[in-house]
Amino acid sequence: MSEDPENVEKMEGDSAKPDRMFTLKKWNAVAMWSWDVECDTCAICRVQVMDACLRCQAESKRDFYGKQDCVVVWGECNHSFHYCCMSLWVKQNNRCPLCQQEWSIQRMGK
Amino acid sequence: MLKEKGQVKFEEKWPYMRPVVLKLLKQEPVSQPEWQELFYSVHLVCLWDEKGPAKIRDHLHEDIVQFIKQAQVRVLAQREEQALLKAYIAEWRKFFTQCNYLPTPFRQLESALQGKSASGTASVQASGTKKNQHDDSIVRKLMLDSWNESIFSDIKHRLQDSAMKLVQAERNGEAFDSQLVIGVRESYVNLCSNTEDKMQIYRENFEAAYIQSTETFYRLKAPEQLTINGVQAYMKYADNKLREEEARAQRYLEAGSNGVIQCCVKVLVGNALSAILAECAPLIRGGETDRLHLMFRLLERVPDGVLPMLRELESHITSAGLADMVAAADIITQDSEKYVERLLELFRKFSGLVKDAFSDDPRFLTARDKAFKTVVNDTTVFRLELGTGKNSGTKVVAPESKCPELLANYCDMLLRRTPLSKRLTSEEIELRLRDVLLVLKYVANKDVFMRYHKAHLTRRLILDASADSEKEEDMVEWLREVGMPADYVNKLARMFQDIKVSEDLNGQFRASTARHDAINIKILNAGAWARGSERVTVSLPLELEDYIPEIEEFYKKKHSGRKLQWYHHMSNGTITFANSVGRFDLDVTTFQMAVLFAWNQRPLERISYENLRLATELPDAELRRTLWSLVAFPKLKRQLLLFQPTASAPKDFMEHTVFWINQDFALVKNGKLQKRGKINLIGRLQLSTERSQLEDNQSIVQLRILRTQEAIIKILKMRKRISNGALQAELVDILKNMFLPSKKMIKEQLEWLIEHKYMKRDDDDINTFIYMA
Repeated sequence: MSEDPENVEKMEGDSAKPDRMFTLKKWNAVAMWSWDVECDTCAICRVQVMDACLRCQAESKRDFYGKQDCVVVWGECNHSFHYCCMSLWVKQNNRCPLCQQEWSIQRMGK
Repeated sequence: MLKEKGQVKFEEKWPYMRPVVLKLLKQEPVSQPEWQELFYSVHLVCLWDEKGPAKIRDHLHEDIVQFIKQAQVRVLAQREEQALLKAYIAEWRKFFTQCNYLPTPFRQLESALQGKSASGTASVQASGTKKNQHDDSIVRKLMLDSWNESIFSDIKHRLQDSAMKLVQAERNGEAFDSQLVIGVRESYVNLCSNTEDKMQIYRENFEAAYIQSTETFYRLKAPEQLTINGVQAYMKYADNKLREEEARAQRYLEAGSNGVIQCCVKVLVGNALSAILAECAPLIRGGETDRLHLMFRLLERVPDGVLPMLRELESHITSAGLADMVAAADIITQDSEKYVERLLELFRKFSGLVKDAFSDDPRFLTARDKAFKTVVNDTTVFRLELGTGKNSGTKVVAPESKCPELLANYCDMLLRRTPLSKRLTSEEIELRLRDVLLVLKYVANKDVFMRYHKAHLTRRLILDASADSEKEEDMVEWLREVGMPADYVNKLARMFQDIKVSEDLNGQFRASTARHDAINIKILNAGAWARGSERVTVSLPLELEDYIPEIEEFYKKKHSGRKLQWYHHMSNGTITFANSVGRFDLDVTTFQMAVLFAWNQRPLERISYENLRLATELPDAELRRTLWSLVAFPKLKRQLLLFQPTASAPKDFMEHTVFWINQDFALVKNGKLQKRGKINLIGRLQLSTERSQLEDNQSIVQLRILRTQEAIIKILKMRKRISNGALQAELVDILKNMFLPSKKMIKEQLEWLIEHKYMKRDDDDINTFIYMA
C-alpha cells in the first residue's frame, strides 16, 4: 500500500560483476504444515486435528504460550485422533472408536 | 387498710397545692419546701382519696386552661404581626418549659389513674398504659392538648399567615428575624401529643400553609420571569430559586419535608417544560455545555424530564455524525486513517459534551452509544456487499458498513512499518490502537474486522514488516480483553508462536546445510494461518526449486506425521538486477521472480505472453496480475518490464503481447538517476488467489450461518425449551462479539434446524421451541 518506491536506500557495494541479469539474493519460502491424516476432524472431541483438542483449548486459555502442542496419533488401523483424546479413550475401551479394531499405536505426530 | 381510707381528702390538700401549681405555671420562684410539699400532697391524695387522682386532674386542667386563656389575651393584644409572633413564641416557650417541670410532682397520678380503670377516661388510659415515660405523662399531655385546644386553634391562622408573610418578605429580599418563623414551627412540632405521628399538627398546618404560600408566590412570579427575560435567563432563575428554596426549607421546615420542593419543581420547571425543552436541540447543536448542564439539572427533577433530552442528544449525534461522514465522503472512503481519525474526533467531541454537560450520566452515555452505533454501522457513505455464494442461491444480503475494514486497515498502518507508525511514538501508537478498539465496540459486524485484521497480520508476519513486535502481541491481548471470540484470538496468538518456531527452525536448517544463507523458511500451522486449501501452480526458477527437496527432507527429520504444502503466492524474496545503468535490489514476490527469471537465459529477447505462461505455468489470472505489477508499478518512473501493444488493464494482455526487460531501468530520486538502490515491488502481498478473494466475503456469510446454527443448538441444549423471544435475546448476546444476526437469518436458520430435526416447535405454542437430541 504505502511502500514508497522512491525511498531508495544505498545498497552494499559489492563489485563482482554478476554473470546473470537476475541473481537470487534472498528467498523467504512459505509453507503450511498439517497432519497427514485422512479425516481432518478428531472423532472423539469433534475438533479439527489441526487445532488443539477441546481439553487443551480449555486449559490453554490461561497459559497459551509455552504449552506443549496437542499432537496427533495414528493407530495400526490408520485412523487418527488427538493424542490427548485417545489416551483417555483407551482407559475405558482399548478399541479404535471408528473401526472397533484393537487399538495399537502405529506412530505419533511430532 | 381499706377501712382507713378517707383520712386525707382531696379537698383538704388542694388549697395548699394550688398556689404552687399556679406559681409553676407563671414561672414564679417556688421554694424547696413548697416543691417537696407538693410531691407529698399528691402522694397522700393518691393514697387515701379514692376519687383524688381524677379530681386533681380535673382541677389541674381547669387551672391550666385558665392560665392559657390569660396567655392568649396577652398574645392577641399585639396588633402588629412581628410583635404577635414574638409574643406568641415567648408565651409558648415559657409554657413549653413548664411542660417539663409541672408533670414531675404529679407522676404518682399516672399509676393511680391507671389502677382505677373505672374512673379514668378511655383516652387517658390508652396513652397511659402504653408508656410511662416523661414525654407521655398524663399531665404533660393535658398541658399540650389544652394549649392546642384553647390558644392554638383560635390563633393558628393568624400565626401561620404572619409567618408566611415573613417568608414572603424574605423571598422579596427583605431581611427579618428568621427566629420568628423557626419559633412558630417549633411550637407546631412540640405541640403534638400524638405518639404515632409526632409531625401531624406541623404537617397539617404549618407545612401545608408553607407549601400553599410558596406555590402562590411562584405561580405568579415564574410566568412573569419567563415572558420578560426569555427561556435562557429563566432556566438560571428557576435553578437559583430551587436552590434558594431548598436552603430556605432547610431553615424553616423540619428535615424530611420534601413537599415544598416538589411543589416548586412543579411550578418552576413542570409548567415551563415545553419552553425549556424547545431550547434543548439548539443548545446541543451549539455545544453549550454550561446551559445544557443547567437544563439537565432542572429537568432531572421532573419525572421522565430527561427523556426528551436523551432523544435530542441521540438524534443530534446521529445526524451530525452522518452529515460529517457524508460531507467528507470523498476523503474518508479512500483513506482509512482519515476516516478513523474523523470518527474518533466525532467521538471525542460528543463524549466531551456528555461529560461536561451531563456529568457522564449513564442514561446519556447510553444515548451517545446508541448514536455512535448508528453512525459506525451506517451504510450511506460506503458499504460492504456480502454475497451469499452459489449454494444459497443468489440472495442478496443487506449491505454492511465498511467501518470494520477501515479500522483493520488503520490498525495495519499503525502496526506495520509505515510513514505513519514511524512518525508516532510508541505511546501515541498505543493510544490510537486503544481508540480503534473503542470504535470497534460499536461495530455490529466485528467478524469482518477480525478477518481483515488477521489478513493484515499475516502479511506483516510473512513480510517481516511489523513496526514493533511487542505491540503486535499487546494488540492480541487487547482484542481478547474487549471480548473477541477466544478461538479467534488464540489463532492470532498461535501465529506469533509459529513465527518464533520458524525462526528456530530456520537457524537449524542453515546450520545443517552447506548452502549459502539466501534461504529463509517459514513453515506455519495450516490450522491457524490457512484460508482454504487453494493451491497455485507455478514453475519455480531452478535456483528456488533446488531448495524444496532439501527443506522437505530436513523437515521430515524434525517432525513426523506432517505434510507440507508450499504457499508460493505468499513466498517472496530479494533479487539483484544488473543492467547497463547499474545494479538494483528488488524485493519481489515469488511469482514476479518466476516471471523475471525467464529472461536470465535470453536477457534481451522479447517474450510473448503465451511463452511466459508456458515457462511459469502460472494460472492465467495470476500471470496477468503479476505482469501488470511489473509493467505498471505505481510511482515508478521507469518500469522494469516493457510491453507491446499497449494495454490499460491486466485483462488487455493478449496471447501475442510481447514483454522485454527495460535495459534503461533505473531508480529516479529527486529527478536524478540512481545507479544503485533497492525497491520493493511486492506491494500488497496477496494472500489468496483472485478466485478465492471473491469467495472471501461469501465465506463471511457462510460462517455466520454456521455460527448462528451452532449458537441456537447451544442455547436449546441448555434450556431444552425456550420461547422465541428469549431465544433471540440469548442468540444476540452470544453472537454480538462477532456480528449482529439479522432477524431474517435467525428465522431461516431456525427453519433449517427444524427441517433437519434438531429441534421442533411446541404443538401447543408455535412460538416455543423444543430441543430434540
